[in-house]
Amino acid sequence: MKYILLIMLSWSITFASDATIEVIKKAETLPSLAIEDASINYDDTFKLRFFKMLVADMNVLSLFNVDRHHRIAHFNDVDVLVENKDAEYVLRYMMSQDDDESLRVSVKLINANEVIFSKNYKVSKKDSYYMFISHAIAYDINDYMGEPSVAWMKRKVIFSRVVAPRKSEIVIADYTLTYQQAVIQGGFNLFPKWANKAQNAFYYSSLSGKVPTLKYVDLKTGTVQSVMSSDGMMICSDVSDDGNLLLLTMAKNGQPDIYTYDKKRNRLKRETTYSGIDVNAQFRDRDSFVFISNRLGYPNVFAKKLGSDEVEQLVYYGRSNSACSAHGEYVVYKARETSNAFSKNTFNLHLISTKTDFIRRLTATGVNEFPRFSKDGDAIIFIKNYKNQSSIGIIRLNHNKNYLFPLKFGRVQSMDW
Amino acid sequence: MKSIVLSGVVAALLVFTGCSKDPAVDQKADAAQDVAQEQAAQEVAPVATETVSTEDSVVNSDSNSMSMSDVESQLPTIYFGFDKFSIDPEMQEKIDMAVALGNKEAASYSVKLEGNCDEWGSDEYNFALGLKRANSVKKAMVAQGVDASRIAMVSYGESNPVCTDKTQECWAKNRRVDFKLLP
Repeated sequence: MKYILLIMLSWSITFASDATIEVIKKAETLPSLAIEDASINYDDTFKLRFFKMLVADMNVLSLFNVDRHHRIAHFNDVDVLVENKDAEYVLRYMMSQDDDESLRVSVKLINANEVIFSKNYKVSKKDSYYMFISHAIAYDINDYMGEPSVAWMKRKVIFSRVVAPRKSEIVIADYTLTYQQAVIQGGFNLFPKWANKAQNAFYYSSLSGKVPTLKYVDLKTGTVQSVMSSDGMMICSDVSDDGNLLLLTMAKNGQPDIYTYDKKRNRLKRETTYSGIDVNAQFRDRDSFVFISNRLGYPNVFAKKLGSDEVEQLVYYGRSNSACSAHGEYVVYKARETSNAFSKNTFNLHLISTKTDFIRRLTATGVNEFPRFSKDGDAIIFIKNYKNQSSIGIIRLNHNKNYLFPLKFGRVQSMDW
Repeated sequence: MKSIVLSGVVAALLVFTGCSKDPAVDQKADAAQDVAQEQAAQEVAPVATETVSTEDSVVNSDSNSMSMSDVESQLPTIYFGFDKFSIDPEMQEKIDMAVALGNKEAASYSVKLEGNCDEWGSDEYNFALGLKRANSVKKAMVAQGVDASRIAMVSYGESNPVCTDKTQECWAKNRRVDFKLLP
């Protein structure tokens, strides 16, 4: 399958107010959804490609049991297909080509022979952008069903792909990696980070020169600026919601520490001073951040308020927790579950709440790393390396489902969304 | 019925190929690789040979000093234990050798210490571990009199492996610090 959607864990779950508690619900209780293709243009290959994308998106919503049969229908027929008469919902769509060769898609959602939702979508280049229509349809249907927003579906993922030793490229993609555009090629450039909510600019670390340098790319104007350099390490770990405050990892004199950089005031401030390793700062809110430190002799998750010297240990389990992300009271972290130099190691993601003692393990196999909460905390995106395959994974916390989107070549080094 | 135009969502994306100053060098490397791959598909022409008489051969007597790449090839690699950045006695001997070279043949160059890690993680912590390894080597060199201002450091984390097999020996080869000379 060209557009593979691997459903790793397909048990369905709901939870009350604590995302670390699992309450199991049977998958059969989800309503069934059939998808009918009523397209009047385009060849079968493209029709099937769009259908698969839509099935994948509707699956990721985790609201329906999606029928994966590709069936052809007439858009204006009142009745649904005979094969789909038992489906609680039928999503019927019609792709057509406009005079300017743009792709137009009309959609209707049918329930009990009533059209309960309809909308039209359009993109200019069908082969390049069709997946964004599929994501928009899923977003709108989720919205219509009254579920918490899946706005992250419409956001773009930016990631660095290592293609050879010390050779990488920075790629912008949709969340399924179906759409991909390399925006920085040549050299050794890592740790891309969106610079604002609008996703029209980003930071990245250039390791091609003598000293690691943080660069800023404005996608609207196509300009690249050097922001600052530091011996050893120079990484933008996180950007505040308003885009004005950056959490940096810098290593002046070989000492990795966390700094804040106020863009408006052009002010750099050192936030940690421990003589070991302090890295991976992620905003918890505007006034505090979580980070990774080895101040106990092994990497673990800590929190600190901006402007305060007080450091709080957040995670009390595991002896090697080397990456993290936070959203409100929740912290997701990467834990090494085997610890030796002589065999393959397993790294899994765990979720904790700072208000309870529960731990929820979110992954089961392979090397799972680089967890990042979505802005609304609904989902976690992460990198999975397993059996020589690099993928981007999405965890729907509220539904306890993981989805993997494999990369066709190269290895994902880091990413942001 | 509402209508939405999505083309703007992605139309703003631009391609910056080698847009920073430094990648330009690597672009050439990429181009060279492409050419090499193309040529591999073709039949290779016979190697052109030319006989040069010994009388024509002139040894440049001015080239007693070693070139930068010659010196660099003599610099050792320092290896580290799993999850460690401390220097073993055996590796200390190699650093002593590097310092000797650094104070004589390489005295006119700066040194860039490149810290590297095995494949277990691409996160910042792994990069910091690589940097700590480089910094351990730097401290050992400075302790022996090398001027700290001559030494730059960078960490490549797990992204610069010399070996990609899934074996213990291979992972050990990647936990290392390399010396590179800068003019």
